[in-house]
Amino acid sequence: MYCRPIQARIAGVELLFPKNESQGVRTTGENHRSFWWVLFVVGLGIAPIVEADDVDFAHDMVPILKTHCAKCHSGMQQEGDFSINTREQMLAGGSSGPGLVTGDSANSELFRRIVSTDEGYRMPPEGQGLSAEQATVIRKWIDQGANWEPGFTFAPSSYEPPLRPRRPDLPPAMAGRDHPLDRILDAELVARSQTPLKPVSDEVFLRRVFLDLVGLLPTPEQRHAFLSDPNPDKRTLLIDHLLQDEIAYADHWLTFWNDLLRNDYTGTGFITGGRTQITTWLYDALLRNKPYDQMTRELIAPPTPDSAGFIDGIRWRGEVSAGQTVEIQFAQSVGQSFLGINLKCASCHDSFVDRWTLNEAFGLAAIYSDRPLELHRCDKPLGTMAEPKWLFPELGQIDSTADKNTRLEQLARLLTHPENGRFTRTIVNRLWHRLMGRGIVHPTDAMQTEPWNADLLDYLAIHLADHQYDLKQTLRLIVTSAAYQSAVERVDESSVAAPYVYAGPRAKRLTAEQFLDAVWQLTGTAPVNMDAQVQRVRPGDSAAAPSQLRAQWIWNRGDATQSQGGETLAFRKVWSMQEAPKSAYAVVSCDNEFRCYLNGRLVGAGAEWDNPTLVPLQDIVIGDNELLIVGRNGGNGANPAGLWCEVRYRTSEASEQGFGTDGSWQWTARLPRESGGYDVAPQDWQNASILSHSNIWAPRVTPLAQNLMTQASNGEVAMIRASLVKSDFLMRSLGRPNRDQIVSVRPSEMTTLEAIDLSIGETLDKYLQGGAERLAKEPWENPGELVRWVYHHALSREPNAEELQLLTSDLSLPLQPTAVADVLWAVIMLPEFQINR
Amino acid sequence: MNERPKNELEYEMRREFLRKLGAATVATLGFGAPRLFAAADGQTISHPQATADSCVVLWMGGGMAAPDTFDPKRYVPFKVGVPVGEIESTFPSIDSVVDTIKLTEGLEHIAQVMDRATLIRSHVLPDLGSILHSRHQYHWHTGYVPPQTVACPHIGSWMAKVLGPLNPVMPAFINIGQRLEGVGEQEELKAFTTAGFFDSEFGPLNLPFPEEAAQSVRPPAGMDAGRFANRQKLFRRLVDQSPQRDYLSDFQYESQLRSIENAYRLLSSKEREAFDISLEPAESFAKYDTGRFGRGCLLARRLVESGARFVEVTTEYVPFLNWDTHADGHTTLQRMKKEIDQPIAQLILDLESRGLLNRTLVILASEFSRDMIMEGKPGSNANDQTTEPVEALKTMKHYGQHRHFTGASCVVMWGGGVRGGQLYGASAQERPFVAVEKPLSVTDLHATIFNAMGISPQTAYDVEQRPFYATEDGKGKPAIEIFGRT
Repeated sequence: MYCRPIQARIAGVELLFPKNESQGVRTTGENHRSFWWVLFVVGLGIAPIVEADDVDFAHDMVPILKTHCAKCHSGMQQEGDFSINTREQMLAGGSSGPGLVTGDSANSELFRRIVSTDEGYRMPPEGQGLSAEQATVIRKWIDQGANWEPGFTFAPSSYEPPLRPRRPDLPPAMAGRDHPLDRILDAELVARSQTPLKPVSDEVFLRRVFLDLVGLLPTPEQRHAFLSDPNPDKRTLLIDHLLQDEIAYADHWLTFWNDLLRNDYTGTGFITGGRTQITTWLYDALLRNKPYDQMTRELIAPPTPDSAGFIDGIRWRGEVSAGQTVEIQFAQSVGQSFLGINLKCASCHDSFVDRWTLNEAFGLAAIYSDRPLELHRCDKPLGTMAEPKWLFPELGQIDSTADKNTRLEQLARLLTHPENGRFTRTIVNRLWHRLMGRGIVHPTDAMQTEPWNADLLDYLAIHLADHQYDLKQTLRLIVTSAAYQSAVERVDESSVAAPYVYAGPRAKRLTAEQFLDAVWQLTGTAPVNMDAQVQRVRPGDSAAAPSQLRAQWIWNRGDATQSQGGETLAFRKVWSMQEAPKSAYAVVSCDNEFRCYLNGRLVGAGAEWDNPTLVPLQDIVIGDNELLIVGRNGGNGANPAGLWCEVRYRTSEASEQGFGTDGSWQWTARLPRESGGYDVAPQDWQNASILSHSNIWAPRVTPLAQNLMTQASNGEVAMIRASLVKSDFLMRSLGRPNRDQIVSVRPSEMTTLEAIDLSIGETLDKYLQGGAERLAKEPWENPGELVRWVYHHALSREPNAEELQLLTSDLSLPLQPTAVADVLWAVIMLPEFQINR
Repeated sequence: MNERPKNELEYEMRREFLRKLGAATVATLGFGAPRLFAAADGQTISHPQATADSCVVLWMGGGMAAPDTFDPKRYVPFKVGVPVGEIESTFPSIDSVVDTIKLTEGLEHIAQVMDRATLIRSHVLPDLGSILHSRHQYHWHTGYVPPQTVACPHIGSWMAKVLGPLNPVMPAFINIGQRLEGVGEQEELKAFTTAGFFDSEFGPLNLPFPEEAAQSVRPPAGMDAGRFANRQKLFRRLVDQSPQRDYLSDFQYESQLRSIENAYRLLSSKEREAFDISLEPAESFAKYDTGRFGRGCLLARRLVESGARFVEVTTEYVPFLNWDTHADGHTTLQRMKKEIDQPIAQLILDLESRGLLNRTLVILASEFSRDMIMEGKPGSNANDQTTEPVEALKTMKHYGQHRHFTGASCVVMWGGGVRGGQLYGASAQERPFVAVEKPLSVTDLHATIFNAMGISPQTAYDVEQRPFYATEDGKGKPAIEIFGRT
């Protein structure tokens, strides 16, 4: 046996409605009412095949209405002044009086007409009319109360979004709430006589704003500091503080932009060199808060190859359909990412669902094309060439005779034209969606749809333009509003199906990246290395005075220009400490990869010599310490190899101390276990040699290393974030998309397969075990203190008495790591943890 | 037919669960998940009567050469100096239990179950220019040639989405034998081993190593059943104590709790044992124990017995390994046949003896065929991919089907209403061995498979306001004559 999942059945109705079809004019016949005749038919002629079931409007009714009635009575067609567009219109009826009486089919004009045998009266007038079964469905539907799918209409959307920006008049402030967004939204609530929204507590706000702006949980210390701060402006101060945390901000928003610009560190296309990343450029743009119009111009008309990956798309080896060439990908991506316009239909034929045509899709593609681009309809060449042009000639047009770079620059300017309100509306709508849980236009990729509050959308858009396209200003505007700082709407099945009515923010499920970052924060198990090629250095810091570097490039011999590919050696330095350092770190670069161990424990790894790695050195002990680095030369043939490592630590002495790779380091070809440590200690340590050819690497590595050290010396060794590493099984399972296509919205619900992964998967288990071992060792005064710490960090609140009792019941000092791991698991599986509300 | 859960009460609970699942599905739809698309005439899709409840795909990853497996041509034994172009098959043909069906040496066990099968020799694949295996595999598994503007669902996801699980506790889509990490073209493999635009609820449970499958449904290492159950209990009680109880009606809260309960149900169910092939009696185990693929067949049988909806077993695709013979093809195929022959035959016999074969559709297929001398298809501009290009045989290494061939390949279908002992279509008697009778495209093959499973090939979901069909553009036509009584 199987159970077919219930499906929504109304979808596609609007789409399939023949909105432009020419429709014949027909006169309706006079009313010929004959009650007894109808009753007779009902009583004798129609088998009660659906008596047992409720009529499902979408499933049972819509197809009948669409097939038999819609042509003359829906959309713009209202023969006999009768329209079936909405339930209200159907009830109201037309020139013959009310359309139907709910609960009383016998007295309903609609039903009488469909079962009439009078040719002039019966509906539909043509053909055989409705079958007995169909008539029964309609009878039962009326008798059961003529239920309608909330929000459903047969009317095709005739909405065309405005192009130009618009500055809405702000309604007067109410109850002193003078934030512009609140003025707009309060007016909306008042218009619907809705009660004002309930503001959230400081602790709810704290967790929400941290997750939304920087994607992290507030730490217990941050929580304590915020809650005990008496400053009435502390929320705004916190918002500004978070927005000014450039690295955390960039780490978090990288996920959003990678999705939107389909950028990734691995994926299809890379294997054949048909795709390039924009990671370095993108991260830098976020770090520096590059204005959005400038970002867009650099993506559309790349000043350097660093931002070219977006327009170049994915070049597949072999033949691809005319609808997926890189030129067409360009048109689709530009349309979707920047304008929320879906050109995927129009890439193949004139769209059935909106106004975009094949010509327009190919015109946009031709701007990018290096070659004359022939129009293809459904993969068949049409014999005409596309002329480079863009979608809104009202703002200007592309010079089709210009060269490609000029055309791209023209497009970049038109797209970011101050009069292009669709450009700003699209991005502010996406940001609103991220912060408030639902778009003002929804879904966010369908900007052809009407917003639920045009003033709100237009205000946000014009505010962005007024603030020089500073996206942080938009974020700030939203999160400083009372609207954002209100309790989330409770969304159940009925409110999902109903037309959207604003009732406060909606809860957001954590993204895969937010979830993992949060778990890593709780457990201290973040990865030691990242895959993203980014410079995680505060813009201000790079200008700071560089520390004096001591390290030199070393290998096992002075001329390592012809080292064997795959040659792997262990290098070490043993040094003595008089006291435990307050902080310590190393910066390491190795051509081509390394693993770094402190006192036999793996502490860092890296695989790109031109992207030096910052390795935190915790657990340096008093007495002798050993730093051991396994370096591996890459490639197949002979090629240069080298290792560079600078160590710094701070003790009670005023200045930072340290050392670097030099001739005092030792090497051996014997390698430790991958997890660290030798089974039998090597006896053949020899002194390393300083390389004469360090200029291969130094010009690139030295400044980057100095930046990292400046950052680290300021005490900011930021945790490696999930957005910076390649997707893994767990992240895929949690909804991180493979970025072959633009997927701008993440799934909102947990699936069973994810729950299996989270229940028994090795990855999460490893994090929890690691965290539990760490936490079990902490000097808690009692188990309750641990539980409270977990609640403060994970949920940003106190556990209640029942929770505290429940979770401490299996805990006793000394804490067992397994018991702690189970507590951690139970807490992170709570919807309260996985949903940002 | 699947085994009904023994405990009726538990069974009722599952039904209740599914009912709730259905309700939540509706809720999900409001949030932009793909919706079922109405047919053009305004009627909803009518699905054909299913002839099978479960589906097993036996995937010969890497390009299985038809002339050396299921479509014997002129056999020329190895001899130094023989011009390569004279060789058509490198294995002699053998008889099967069906007079009209000949296979090649090395498939003796399968030959004994061909009376339960329809053998298609005219499966035609597009020539995608430059041959990238994973791209053809993407096409075969989704019905769409990549790249596409949306992520296409795997056929297993279509079955999971449209039909739902057969046994509610069993994941509907299980994928055995293919690693998605640590192998070449892994990103490309991942791209189609997915639910695509469907929610990941309908995606695969991946079990790359059949021997380790039991661990995929077992508490993590170091956690015994008692602790696992206690942890779940702790979680449930914590939910009950939560000051956020008020939010439990919220659809996100509700669906999360439901998914966690669904997962726990499987992880604590009796069906879990199906994943543990070490529980198979030794005598039976031995019949499947030819390697990873053979043990995968055993796992597939156990899963189908427990009510899995769709299972795929792959001879792992790794570039230049297994069926992907660019040199030394004959020797490699001797090994491959040894690995697949007995387990596949045993799978068919076991399903039959358990009364499951008539409701289980088993399909053996590959992304394309191979040829001694022709790359792609006649007129193709694909690059020659053999690593040992020679005019005449010098060593054994040169003896084998080393070029990709898309003009005709073989598909075998057993059970699930398929007519037994039947040949469908034919390839040419002379090179090029293109399909000359009843060419069957991926689109129509999928329509045939979906037809058996009771899914209309015109089934469509609304994705980004466009219909996306189970078969390309809804055009798939089932090859009806494949079905019916012998």
